[in-house]
Amino acid sequence: MADDQLSVIFGALADPTRRAILGRLADGEATVTELAAPFPISMPAISRHLKVLERAGLISRSRSGQHLSSTLRPGSLQEAAEWMERYRRFWDASFDRLEEHLRRSAPGRDEQ
Amino acid sequence: MSEHIEITRIFDAPRELVYRAFTDPGQLAQWFGPVGCWVPRDSIEVDARVGGHLRFVMTAPDVRSPVDATFTEVVENELLAAEMEAEGVPGVAGPLRVHLRLEFHDEGNGKTRLELRQGPFAAGQLGPDTRTGWESSFTKLDMLL
Repeated sequence: MADDQLSVIFGALADPTRRAILGRLADGEATVTELAAPFPISMPAISRHLKVLERAGLISRSRSGQHLSSTLRPGSLQEAAEWMERYRRFWDASFDRLEEHLRRSAPGRDEQ
Repeated sequence: MSEHIEITRIFDAPRELVYRAFTDPGQLAQWFGPVGCWVPRDSIEVDARVGGHLRFVMTAPDVRSPVDATFTEVVENELLAAEMEAEGVPGVAGPLRVHLRLEFHDEGNGKTRLELRQGPFAAGQLGPDTRTGWESSFTKLDMLL
């Protein structure tokens, strides 16, 4: 994946409203109206957010009748994010054990 | 959101001891990996100098993942940086390659601040058809984490 495409994706994900939209779309496709419902911002603002997400390749949009609906594209970035989360938890768990190891092997330390 | 993992952790031990926990094969075997994973002592090699290797085999039920890291920067008690290559990672076709950086900072009062940076986790590395592979394997690993 080119660095500039990665920047587009990270830029898209940098906004909490857009992340919330992606979360909602994980449950299934939705129209702009449905997506706008939980947010105290205007429909045009939601549409702008959707354009950013679409340009980043994170959602795809299709027209059915009068409705423009958005669908999550579970692309490779999500997989990378899930990978990173697992590695993070791997390290956290390892460091818990390292803490215990250091405590056990420290000479003459008080228990706290 | 970033393509690197960054973790900061304070250990209640001077940095010489924390550093040694990473570079002494006998110690590494005692703590590395979450509970339920282990690294067999005889699979560990450590040669802590630039160009030297850190090798071990991460083992868990149904998982055997050899890791080969080549040190790119080594400052005793202060810094370990390496290019890591892991094979046999569940759900990943071919080797997973990431850079790992560990900085050991003196936090005072006999404590050490460890700063870890690992990545980049580029989606392109994961290869095709990784989702079902890692999903089932990581269900098992998740139970350990």
